[in-house]
Amino acid sequence: MGGGVYQRGKAQQAPQGVDLGGTLRAVLLSPLVAAVRGPIDVLGRFSRFGARVLLTVPTRRWSVREFVTQAGTLTARCFIPVCATIFPFGAVIGVQGMAIFDLFGAHRLLSSLLSLVIIRELAPVLAAVLVAAQGGASFAAELGAMRIKEELDATAVMGIDPIGWHVVPRVLAMAFVVPLLTTLANAFGVAGGYVVAVGLYDQDHGVFVHHMAQLIGIFDLGASAFKGAVFGLLVGLISTWRGYGATGGAEGVGRAVNDTVVYSVMFILVVNYQLSSLLFGGTGG
Amino acid sequence: MSALAAGVRKVGAYAWFTVDCVRATVTHGVPWDRVMSESYKVGIRSFPVLFTMALFVGSNLAIQGHAAFSTLGGGNLVGMFVALAGVREVCPLLAATMVAAKAGTEMAAQLAVMRTKEQIDAIEVMAIDPRSELVAPSIIAVMLTLPALTVLTIAVSLISSMLVAVYQLGVDRGEYLSFLVGYLTAYDLFAATAKSVVFGLIIATVSGYFGFFSERGARGVGQATNRAVVTMCIVIITLNFALTSILYG
Repeated sequence: MGGGVYQRGKAQQAPQGVDLGGTLRAVLLSPLVAAVRGPIDVLGRFSRFGARVLLTVPTRRWSVREFVTQAGTLTARCFIPVCATIFPFGAVIGVQGMAIFDLFGAHRLLSSLLSLVIIRELAPVLAAVLVAAQGGASFAAELGAMRIKEELDATAVMGIDPIGWHVVPRVLAMAFVVPLLTTLANAFGVAGGYVVAVGLYDQDHGVFVHHMAQLIGIFDLGASAFKGAVFGLLVGLISTWRGYGATGGAEGVGRAVNDTVVYSVMFILVVNYQLSSLLFGGTGG
Repeated sequence: MSALAAGVRKVGAYAWFTVDCVRATVTHGVPWDRVMSESYKVGIRSFPVLFTMALFVGSNLAIQGHAAFSTLGGGNLVGMFVALAGVREVCPLLAATMVAAKAGTEMAAQLAVMRTKEQIDAIEVMAIDPRSELVAPSIIAVMLTLPALTVLTIAVSLISSMLVAVYQLGVDRGEYLSFLVGYLTAYDLFAATAKSVVFGLIIATVSGYFGFFSERGARGVGQATNRAVVTMCIVIITLNFALTSILYG
């Protein structure tokens, strides 16, 4: 037995001295592998959940009534936060834009820039972020609490697919409501700029309205809503994914909500860059 | 009317909570070791996320600025656009929102869990003020670290927007830099940090308030975190308008 131990110790020691490359690889590469592997692992699990949800949609084994209810509550709860944030945002652009265009004596360009920035970028991103904070977080909290209280398992035991009953309606509601709120946010953002420019800085009403649609067209409104739909789908999938997979009691629910907001904001901003390059031309038109 | 009264009462409760936290800090002194560990949590743990965000937001600023100004024949003005829009508005807001989403929700959830597990009551029973022990350190920590994170965000987004402007959009690097330096003043950096100090106070106190007074149980924790994050977003963006009007108006 002692011999065996001796043998094993020797066998372990021998390659360590010789196999310098292996040691180096282990020392240098293992943190790198771990750092790369973590995010890939998370992405893989997220895609698997997303695929499962999206594949349930064409089977029609999900509740349309629940979808309508969720879309209604979501709109009612997110309407005020979205409008309350995009309006001051438009006003800030009004204040800063006036300062910038003062340098060139080109105040008339304010409304062109305002509507461009609001409709192409800010309205979809801000609407999606606010919906993630309000609606997505509450989805994660609801589903997380259901998971902790074993209500989801109870649904499954009754022979009802919890994905079709609880998850799919929420995801679809999100993808349906965010474009609507984005379109609303377009109007409110431009209105915020209008109040500052016309109300505070005495710009002519006609000048503001005339230059408003100079740099953008109907395509941009569609693109804005399209961005909103993509973000909505993402937020819906992320929030239900975190809530559905919550573990560990009340703390787990808190973590699910936290993760939902962080992941949603990250995904929205990263995907926004790709979508902007795709829709509006990466070379800047 | 009763809804309005309830809203006013909530704002009042929040204000008293903040005052209580400040008073507790003044009477009991600042627990610097707790401040350090909270700063680590807020600053170091939020930085990777913030770094990624700043990269993408900086490049987006460059693309949109270029698109807006090239129709006027001034695609080279993108440096000015990034300097003014990015440094003055976008970076402080981005840093504040990210810290609110990451550290703020975490604080709210943590306090709500402690409330659920009756740990806050236990601290109170030991005749220790839970506000000075749990909330006050994170207020100081967020107010100290958020300005630093904002400056880092500004640096990262300026670099990424320069890379995109020069290599993707074909703007001359010298022109970009001269417009950037020409329009960026020290006052802009001061205003950005001043804004983020105020945002830091809001983040820490709002998340503390919602976590501290949460309902018990899994549902209560989720609800507290949810409400905290929405309130923080709305208050930060609305305050940003007021601060911009004060600092630049």
